[in-house]
Amino acid sequence: MDKNQMMERAEILVGAVDDLPTIPIVATKVLQLLDDPDVSVEEIADLMLTDQVMTARVMKLLNSPVYRPAQEITSLKRALVYLGLRHVRELALTTSVIDVFDGNTGALDLNAFWEHSFGVGMVSKIIAQKIGYQDLEKAYISGILHDLGEVFLSNFLREPFLAVLEHIKVHPVKLVDAEAELLGTTHCEIGLSMARKWNFPEAYCDVIAHHHAPGEATVDPILCAIVNLSDLFCSVRELNYGGLEWISFNLSEEEAWTILKNESPGLATMDVERFCYELDDSIPDIKELVSSIFNPS
Amino acid sequence: MAISDKDFEQLRDFIYNICGMYFHTTKKYFLESRLTRRMEATGSKTYQDYYLLLKSPRGSEELKFLMDEITTNETYFFRNVPQLAALENKLLPELVETKNKMGFRKLRIWSAASSSGEEAYTMAMILLEKRATLLKDWIIEIVGTDINETVIAQAKEGVYNAYSVRNIPDMYKRKYIREDNGKFILSPDVKKFVTFNKLNLYEDSKMIFMKSFDFIFCANVLIYFDTASKSKVVQHFYNNLQPYGYFFVGQSESLHGVNDKFKTVHFPGGFGYKK
Repeated sequence: MDKNQMMERAEILVGAVDDLPTIPIVATKVLQLLDDPDVSVEEIADLMLTDQVMTARVMKLLNSPVYRPAQEITSLKRALVYLGLRHVRELALTTSVIDVFDGNTGALDLNAFWEHSFGVGMVSKIIAQKIGYQDLEKAYISGILHDLGEVFLSNFLREPFLAVLEHIKVHPVKLVDAEAELLGTTHCEIGLSMARKWNFPEAYCDVIAHHHAPGEATVDPILCAIVNLSDLFCSVRELNYGGLEWISFNLSEEEAWTILKNESPGLATMDVERFCYELDDSIPDIKELVSSIFNPS
Repeated sequence: MAISDKDFEQLRDFIYNICGMYFHTTKKYFLESRLTRRMEATGSKTYQDYYLLLKSPRGSEELKFLMDEITTNETYFFRNVPQLAALENKLLPELVETKNKMGFRKLRIWSAASSSGEEAYTMAMILLEKRATLLKDWIIEIVGTDINETVIAQAKEGVYNAYSVRNIPDMYKRKYIREDNGKFILSPDVKKFVTFNKLNLYEDSKMIFMKSFDFIFCANVLIYFDTASKSKVVQHFYNNLQPYGYFFVGQSESLHGVNDKFKTVHFPGGFGYKK
């Protein structure tokens, strides 16, 4: 099926859902306010503090192993200064998305979904660092958001999506290919359709749409390649949706690897084995982060 | 004595750089207890003292003792489960398809440093299970080699203790293992697929005759070799593989910086090296 048809189908499916969650009003306002070049930290902080859930999540994320501030940050205002206003937009976006799907009962195990998402976020940040990509937080957030479409499929196309999951249990094909075959669209097109509805910045839309085909990216192919590789690495380790699909890959044949090596030739000599072993070591951190965000004590 | 994160990371990096074996953070307490024994044996009072000893001219000698401690030198059936799953689910079917197209129905597997034979016999069990389907009418040859004649004799005998067989899935255990007075005896059906020979991996003149393998396994051996020997031995393995063959090392081992011809193929829970 061609890309345009899959996109059309995604638009129809997303459009047909009357109760598609919206991202919280505060997040939208924060995003709008941040477009104003003269906005102050105080204004943003005051607005965000009206949404306690969002504030709590921003603080949790900030004090997680991913950002690792030297000392625990306990006030939102300090958090915003520490992060810089540029990143507040992204955090507001992420925490809102987390919020939207929290507590939903779909076909996917939501905990496993977020462990994969945050895992890909964390690994994206590490790869971004390795290749000298200029915006590490953007890589992190892209990783967290890349599979957004899966949650839609899981929640709003529950039965057909369960059939897809059953299909990949017995056929050694990738989840994304099984979706295309059985649903006529994939989580990439669905995710893009949602991201557009929610006015996500273009770079994130690009990652959501092209993280399985970074060569087709139009806005930021490097970012898409980073997320694509992170996704692969997480999919063969313990951050694989509880082992839904059987993935194997050979770096030298991956488009993303070629894209990133062109960007940063030093990557060719990277110790990939050690990278994998270190990734295994960081899995407990990722699981703990997800657990702290979703099961606040 | 509790090991600090800093000392742990320093020793981990040292062991990784010299031996190519990575110690996961979850293995910290294991490493700690093994290090304690070697520290007592060498009279090192702190981890730092012991680290300096390893780095000293006497270090290479001591490193061998340490590696003996941390690899425990014991092997068992179905040891590397992710590796076996990848082989069974993906790599073997792919290889069979390739060879079927060429009309060449023969499979050769080498367990290099086979010790008492568990790895070689594990492969035999897995392949035997596919005799009626995927490997119908195929010739299967599994070769185990080791430098030590005592373990070769044990491998040929095929009698094991409870520790060795504890990981064998029930389905295989019922078919191929018979218990007799606390001993576990391997079925002749499995034994007949495997031959064991003495071989020194350093001996070039013998290594060049180990030809045309589809899969080669060499776990927990290269970690004892210096980089130059490692490169030489791995090059032999490379040459001895069929063009589409795979080479596997042990869990937590790495060939980084040893050979740049192999391609790393990742699969759930691990990776292998493809020619």
